[in-house]
Amino acid sequence: MTNETKKMIIAGLGGIFLLSLVFVQWMEVIRKKEEAGLSDTHISIPAASLDCVECHAESSPAIVAHWKGSTHAKKGVACVECHQAEEGDIDGFSHYGVHIATIVTPRDCGRCHAEVTHEFEASHHAAAANILASLDNFLAETVEGSRIPFDPHSPTPGFDSNKKVNGMASVSSGCKQCHGSKVALLATDGKMITVDDLKPDADGKPTNLEAIARVKKDENGNPLFDHNTWPNTGIGRINLDGSKGSCSACHSRHDFSPRRARQPENCGKCHLGPDHPQKEIYEESKHGVAYRDLRDKMNLDGESWILGKDYSHAPTCATCHMSGNTRNGGKITHDPGRRISWTNRPPVSLPLDTDANGKIVTETDPVKRLALVKDSAQNKRNRMKDVCLHCHTPNYVNSFYKQYDDLVILFNEKFAKPGKKIMNSLWEQKLISKQQFDDKVEWTWFYLWHHEGRRARHGAAMMAPDYTHWHGMYEVAERFYMELVPEVREIIEEARHKGKEKQADEAEKVLNAILSRPEHQWQSADKEK
Amino acid sequence: MPLMKWFQERIPISGESIRELTNEPVPNHLKKWWFCLGGTPAYLFLVQIVTGILLAIYYESSTRTAHESIRYITEEVSFGWYLRSLHKWAATLMIAAVILHQMRVYFTASYRKPRELNWMIGMCLLACTLGAGFTGYSLVYEQLSYWGATVGANIAETVPIVGTFFKKMLLAGDVYNDKTLPRFYILHAAIIPVTMILLIMVHIAFIRMQGVTKIHFADEKEGEAKEFNFFPDHLLTEIIMGLVLMVILSALATVFPATMGPKANPLVTPEVIKPEWFFYVFFRWLKLFSGTVAVLSSGFIVFVMFAWPFIDKWLVKKTKSEDTHVWIGILGVLAIVGFTIWEAAVKH
Amino acid sequence: MDEKVSSENQDKRNQRRNFLSTALMGLGLAASYGTLATMAGRFLYPAKPTPKQWAFVAVARSIPVGSSLSYQTPKGEKVAITRHRDKGLVDDFIALSSTCPHLGCQVHWESQNSRFFCPCHNGTFDQFGKGTGGPPKDSQMSLPQYPLKIEKGMLFIEVAASLSWIKTNKKPSSVSFDDARRV
Repeated sequence: MTNETKKMIIAGLGGIFLLSLVFVQWMEVIRKKEEAGLSDTHISIPAASLDCVECHAESSPAIVAHWKGSTHAKKGVACVECHQAEEGDIDGFSHYGVHIATIVTPRDCGRCHAEVTHEFEASHHAAAANILASLDNFLAETVEGSRIPFDPHSPTPGFDSNKKVNGMASVSSGCKQCHGSKVALLATDGKMITVDDLKPDADGKPTNLEAIARVKKDENGNPLFDHNTWPNTGIGRINLDGSKGSCSACHSRHDFSPRRARQPENCGKCHLGPDHPQKEIYEESKHGVAYRDLRDKMNLDGESWILGKDYSHAPTCATCHMSGNTRNGGKITHDPGRRISWTNRPPVSLPLDTDANGKIVTETDPVKRLALVKDSAQNKRNRMKDVCLHCHTPNYVNSFYKQYDDLVILFNEKFAKPGKKIMNSLWEQKLISKQQFDDKVEWTWFYLWHHEGRRARHGAAMMAPDYTHWHGMYEVAERFYMELVPEVREIIEEARHKGKEKQADEAEKVLNAILSRPEHQWQSADKEK
Repeated sequence: MPLMKWFQERIPISGESIRELTNEPVPNHLKKWWFCLGGTPAYLFLVQIVTGILLAIYYESSTRTAHESIRYITEEVSFGWYLRSLHKWAATLMIAAVILHQMRVYFTASYRKPRELNWMIGMCLLACTLGAGFTGYSLVYEQLSYWGATVGANIAETVPIVGTFFKKMLLAGDVYNDKTLPRFYILHAAIIPVTMILLIMVHIAFIRMQGVTKIHFADEKEGEAKEFNFFPDHLLTEIIMGLVLMVILSALATVFPATMGPKANPLVTPEVIKPEWFFYVFFRWLKLFSGTVAVLSSGFIVFVMFAWPFIDKWLVKKTKSEDTHVWIGILGVLAIVGFTIWEAAVKH
Repeated sequence: MDEKVSSENQDKRNQRRNFLSTALMGLGLAASYGTLATMAGRFLYPAKPTPKQWAFVAVARSIPVGSSLSYQTPKGEKVAITRHRDKGLVDDFIALSSTCPHLGCQVHWESQNSRFFCPCHNGTFDQFGKGTGGPPKDSQMSLPQYPLKIEKGMLFIEVAASLSWIKTNKKPSSVSFDDARRV
């Protein structure tokens, strides 16, 4: 071999070596890139949850990805910190050697977020499940569904016809998904075990040994949830440990994004539709229009989100009802009721003068009332005004509230109280049965206050003229004059025919007394001509 | 070119003078590649010195920090993983190259008069290489290397009379403690390399003084030059060897990068303790016999290997055959390969 | 005459060839070893400091005075966090590495003796991590301390963030991801 050949071989080998080094450089770049993608946020998996993350990154990668983007991940809070179950927790089970529970309740969140949980528990939100077994729920359970499962009456091809029809389906997928379920475990005797059976102590540990013994478990020893009650993230969920609510109703799993909770769409999961279209009302209002236009400038990702400091361009639901602002020292509240001065939920609106337990004071005697009221509607309104005043003058705000009060009072006095009085007379005189929703007039009355009347009041509260008028008061009036009054008259006539003269007269007296009031005079005056 | 002239006047070196200076005639058989194995460990030794110095810059030799500092090198420093892998693979290849070189010397009987002493120096270099491998592995301070070192020290203890002293010197105490690792580190990074540099210098000096063993082949033509020049002809060959090695190392380092085991835990003995592969023979031998017998017998084998040139001379005289060593060598190689495979194949 | 010219040409060609091959060899060697040297240089240039993070440990009030809880950092180092006062301040707590500086064994808290004990060589440390017995005392070693802070009643520890996201693809052997599909 000549020296020339050797030199050429060396040159060639040098090239190959260089190529291998280029490969090394490429590997290094990839490695650095992977690191850089992580080091921006400094996310580490806490050692205790390392195994969870490794496995779930394969079995359910999106959960892990959501968590990765959360503040929890940045602060070293991972799977175990929240899902960890304590000894004695009824829904705890062993999952690859870790004692965990599926449902993370406000009691769990409250281990760290104590103050927030406390505020939330005092809120109307936490009590949202109280509606279960109420009038609205009667509709879903009985009128729409059936409290007792029944057999299908003809086969559905492709579906097991031997399965009973679950009459609670509408409640489970409808009502409870917003209001919250009473979480239940399956029992060995075929019944359900809820918080009522478990009787948890102050620490949320069940005390009723008999109920504990009845819990049905699968082959791995995991307790089984009644599917009518879980999955459920309704805001007033009644949990097995006795706590109320579900934080993930607003702070969605597993990223717990404050950004999302700040946006109106988040509240819009429940606050929409014919009976309380707050979402639509907001969208119609100048507030919603401004938000839609300027949401890029809303600093939704900001760690702090104080109106007047971190953003000013538009208000969202959270801005007015929950978030901090410069006039209240940036204090967030997890009780939206603290800034609401009217409750427009019942047929007749009431000022939210609340007692020590957060209940509305219905006492009429002024002196006693003063003693009972712990947080007045005026206080609540002043808190809301703190928000308003970031953009509006005091004069403007006060005059707005006069407009709002006037509309509520108008509805109360012209339609709500009279409607209630008329309906009560029908029930009292036994012209219609005690059973709800079996008489047409009951549906009419329900539409009037529960749907249309609320729309009018909410529309006025949040500046949506169309909801106040056409979807609101206009339909209330139409329902009252064109349906409720004629139907009541018909019932009275029918009662007379059936010989219930006395009762019919009583009811008619009430109706006529109301219709002879000056605000209802407009129609009879015309007819007399 | 005035600049070149300026330098040439002050540093009177030219291609000619280097040729003159290094004009050791290289026998023609070195044109055949498999006779260049001696240069391979030398080149790898150079790689070890360069990568070793770089790694030493980040390494911290205390029981608390050793493992972490190696993790830092591997995971955080730029190209740290590559340099560490180069160091690890060059060590493996170097041990293999030294053994192959020694086998070539053995089977060609190149240790015979007058090169007996150089064989012994070579044996010392082999011992140093294995020692560097042992200490280097211990520096990682992972479970296996910690327990490997512990077992190694306990083996040393079974040597009669000096055993306990030797173990104490190695471990800086009766057991592995926080003063042990610095000893391994200084052995690995200072004492052994310096010894090796000195030995390699003597090794090469001997070769230069005695000349390379001439080996003749049947296909040589009459009247052809029997030798060729070191510079540049053989040097080019060595450069090619070096580059081939670099490519192999680079490929190994990228495809099989050096990994890390769990940090040493003096409380938990791993179920399976194995030394590095080059100690498998020794380890298997130890397991065959009980403590002192095993150590003494292996000591005897090492002594035989060390003094082989003289034993061989005696054998030649006794058997009146020049080739007895070949048969012994084949047996020895088979035994070594067999023991290594045996140890690799079984768990305990 | 012709022969002479051609042999001169031959010489020139040889010279040119010699120069070309030497230059190519030089280029090959310089480029490859040069790149390696550059990498070595990059190796020596200080790496970015390991990012630190404040990691959540526990709710402060959940740790009673005199007790110790063990925390593992994302990089796997074990830390003992002990509460020795009840003022509700961060000074109530001390976070000490559980790794004995002697040989790296795991120390544990003995509340009855108010000390950390290392089972490997009977080393002991006081509640502040100072060596009080065994090898740690002889060599005056202490347990390294980690910074702590309390925020809204929650205890946070400052640890090195682990840069490695998920490294292994190991699956627990008995896991079936098809559970949901089976039902």
